[in-house]
Amino acid sequence: MANMPRMQIFPDLLKSLWQRIGSMSLAIILLVVLSIASVIGTVLLQNQAQADYLQQFGPMWYWVFRSLGLFDMYHTWWFMSILGFLMVSLTSCLWRNIPKMLKDMRTRKVPVSDKSLKRFQHLHEWHLPADTDTEQLQDAFHQHLDGWEFKDSEQDGNHYIRADKGRWNKWGYILVHSAILVVLVGGWVGKEFGFRGNMAVPEGASENEIDFLKGTETGHLKMPFDVHCNSFSIDFFPTGAPREFKSNLTIIDHGKAVLTKDIIVNEPLYYKGVRIYQASFGDGGSDITFKLFHLDGTGAVSTAKTQVYQTWTDKKSGVSLTLDDFKPYNVENMAEPGKPKDYQDLGPAVVYEIRGPGLKPAKIKAFMNPFIGPKGDNRGSFLMISLSGDKADYKTVSLGLDLTNPNEWRLFHAFMKYLGEAHKRSKDSTRQAFKEAMSDVFGTDKGKWPKNFQAMAMRTLQAVSILPQLPWPMLPMLADYKQHYYTGLQLAQDPGMNIVWLGSAMLVFGLCIMFYMPHRKLWLVIRPGTKEVHISLAGMGNRNHLVFTKYFHDIFTQLDQDFAGQKT
Amino acid sequence: MTAITAGGGFTATLYRSRWVFLRFAAYLGAMAGIAAMARFGTGAYEENAFLYQILSMKGLIWGGTGALAGCGMAIVASTAKPKLMDAKMARNFVPWLDGFVLMVILAAIWALFEPAADQISYDDQSNLFAGRVIMAMNVIFIFSSVSYIAYLFAPESFIGRIATWSAYAGLYLGGSSLLLRWHESYLFDMEIGHAPVSNLYEVFILLCCVTTAIYLALEKRYQAKAMGAFVLTLVSAAVFFDIWLASVGQADIKPLVPALQSYWMKIHVPMNFVGYGSFAVACGAGMAYLVRFRLEANGGTSKMLKIFPSLDQLDQLAYKAVAIGFPAFTLATILGAAWASEAWGGYWSWDPKETWALIVWMTYGAYLHARVSHGWHGKALAWWAVAGFLVTVFCFLGVNMYLSGLHSYGRLS
Ligand code: HEM
Repeated sequence: MANMPRMQIFPDLLKSLWQRIGSMSLAIILLVVLSIASVIGTVLLQNQAQADYLQQFGPMWYWVFRSLGLFDMYHTWWFMSILGFLMVSLTSCLWRNIPKMLKDMRTRKVPVSDKSLKRFQHLHEWHLPADTDTEQLQDAFHQHLDGWEFKDSEQDGNHYIRADKGRWNKWGYILVHSAILVVLVGGWVGKEFGFRGNMAVPEGASENEIDFLKGTETGHLKMPFDVHCNSFSIDFFPTGAPREFKSNLTIIDHGKAVLTKDIIVNEPLYYKGVRIYQASFGDGGSDITFKLFHLDGTGAVSTAKTQVYQTWTDKKSGVSLTLDDFKPYNVENMAEPGKPKDYQDLGPAVVYEIRGPGLKPAKIKAFMNPFIGPKGDNRGSFLMISLSGDKADYKTVSLGLDLTNPNEWRLFHAFMKYLGEAHKRSKDSTRQAFKEAMSDVFGTDKGKWPKNFQAMAMRTLQAVSILPQLPWPMLPMLADYKQHYYTGLQLAQDPGMNIVWLGSAMLVFGLCIMFYMPHRKLWLVIRPGTKEVHISLAGMGNRNHLVFTKYFHDIFTQLDQDFAGQKT
Repeated sequence: MTAITAGGGFTATLYRSRWVFLRFAAYLGAMAGIAAMARFGTGAYEENAFLYQILSMKGLIWGGTGALAGCGMAIVASTAKPKLMDAKMARNFVPWLDGFVLMVILAAIWALFEPAADQISYDDQSNLFAGRVIMAMNVIFIFSSVSYIAYLFAPESFIGRIATWSAYAGLYLGGSSLLLRWHESYLFDMEIGHAPVSNLYEVFILLCCVTTAIYLALEKRYQAKAMGAFVLTLVSAAVFFDIWLASVGQADIKPLVPALQSYWMKIHVPMNFVGYGSFAVACGAGMAYLVRFRLEANGGTSKMLKIFPSLDQLDQLAYKAVAIGFPAFTLATILGAAWASEAWGGYWSWDPKETWALIVWMTYGAYLHARVSHGWHGKALAWWAVAGFLVTVFCFLGVNMYLSGLHSYGRLS
């Protein structure tokens, strides 16, 4: 080395590096490293909100993880580099092996030296009398090896017959390893020239922009067409579980409706190279009618009409309601903490934030129907209130009254009035106040009072201790709705996909060749001598030795039997 | 893969090359016929009623025509080239298909014991017959593993035969119970019906059956009975897990969430379990290797050594199992990607389950390379086969239990 001119060391170094990169040890190491790296990404949830990570790991680890890109690990430069390295390694190994293999498959060398014969996995030898008809032996060899390819030659007076089966086995290797390259290239093409993102289209509206995650930010992309959602619907199993989510979509290209189709979860729509998938759904701005129960003691009730995602403001009091969501079904666990879960549908509910001068903002989930207990007992209307705005902090507040019944609201006010007049609250005065309130609302004829007025009394009493405590000047309750969904679509275009499918087919095909069509070679060597003929049967298989051992043994016994009589 | 191994007159005829060849052609034809029905038939493929589409008159006509056409072509082909009748492919595949037909017949018989229609309720599924067949399977698999272990210590051919026969019995009970369960899912409501590969409980039964079937095929070909103690013990572990699942109420038939309502599920999931099952068998071979290695190191006087395959054979058996599993698992992963591209908008999303499938694949890829390249052999590879299966177990169980993702079908609640 020391004497070599400088210029030559470098190419040599490069050559040995190239070989080392294509070595199988490196392949094993790369596979193991990739596996370990992939584990990290499955343990650490990917692509969550940054705030969640910060909360979960604390500032220090958050910054360490973030700078390593662990929150979007599979797209970091270092992960890509490992994949790139694998591609280089595969290329190198294919580059070096393919010419050799192609040559081996084409030319089959027939004569074998005695020395290499000794090194075969399987070898058997006979000695037959010199006058044995070796033609017959050769025929038998041909006959027992049906479907094999034969080639023979003479050398130094010895006769060699070579038989091959699965001669094309090395194509399996070539296909499998190039397939991995093809798949990786396909993946890269898709990443580079394709897109994938989400779009929310309310019923009756159109949209043409998708959102997607780009590292830690959100990217936007305009589509070459508009998607119009005509309708969205959910179908249920008899058990109440959702069975099908369906959107009826119209594609609008340059202002013209070109295609209308239903899509469901496993059946996307395909237009101009873009696939449109049903991914999710949500509220698309349902029409909401509130009944506002004024808590100023007047007993006034007014209505307000608005929509989800809108803010409605009461001009007089300055109270504003910002609507976040509406759901027609609200299945909640109604069991006490620690008890077995008991799921129950509480009916339609709207979620809004209430704000106003001098008021602490609160998030409220207001249900349309009163809560009905397990025995069908009406327990009055209710709300869920969260002062922090967080779902976990929802507290259920029973209002006592069934606010869907206007009489109860009137009864409550009448009761408050009489209760206020009776100074000292005793059992008797309360009962008296209730009686008078009932007479105000339902008339003095007791026979005409509602049958369940006792339950009504209980509710009214409960309301007396709750309603005056509420900080808001009015109580907005859900009175009516007309639901509109939005359909959550995923739009994707992947020009690399067909390359990936091609690679996949090559992979499976190649694996089948590699594993199930092993290359087997048998040699019959006939060496005539003066006293006896020396016969060798040698065999070599590159895979599945158990079967080949048995096969070789069978061939040997058959030939042996055929010529047993002639043995010396 | 069938229980019929004895050389009696009828079965010998059944397994003459000519009949095997003809049957193979008929099976292939029938499958092609059913596939053609799903693709081109009137009403085509009906996700909610596929089982009954096959079992209806229409299915019979399409499948039967296919089978006849297959036979016809086979006869023409074999007159032209009689050697075809010795085709190895037919001899390798027909026993499996025969076994499947037997399972279908068994399931049809079990269906007669189903409770009356007015006794069947979605809320209480305990009176369905499949549950009993599964219980019988559980007991028999455990019995079989005990027999295989007994065989190690008392290598009487009689005990060995009992072990093998009970493994076959468990396999047929398990396979037919799954088919029966498919039928039962339709008894509640046609819309609920779906193939029995939709939750952990069902796929564990599938896993037990696939593992046993692959093991038995190897046992038959390579007389590797000592390995059964290890493989069937793994199967018994799965059986115990399934019993636990049933005890926490995970055994009920539930309707499918929209994402799983696809014919892909019927192909993707079973194919995956062919992979998992083979890897379990490879793990059994690896364990047998390590035990034999220990026994030999201890002086090699143990009686057990006589019935153990040699180290080299065990090494080859592990390889053989991986050679079945690796292509199957590769195909299953590709099918999964195809499904994902159809249902979720991308063939690969680095979802934890997908990623773990890739990890498993790379683990066995590395195993195969380690075999070929010098330096790695014997004990190290046996450990690799065992460790590889641990990775596999995490992939089909751990991911569902500990990691979140789109493959929520197996979630324990
Ligand atoms: C990274 C570079 C790689 C190199 C240098 C490489 C090299 C090789 C070589 C030389 C063989 C032996 C061929 C023979 O015996 O005929 C082989 C076999 C094989 N390779 Fe690779 N390979 C690489 C990557 C991969 C990858 C990523 C996979 C996929 C998991 C893979 C799958 C296989 C399989 C399945 C075999 C057959 C092993 C057997 O039959 O025993 N290779 N590889």
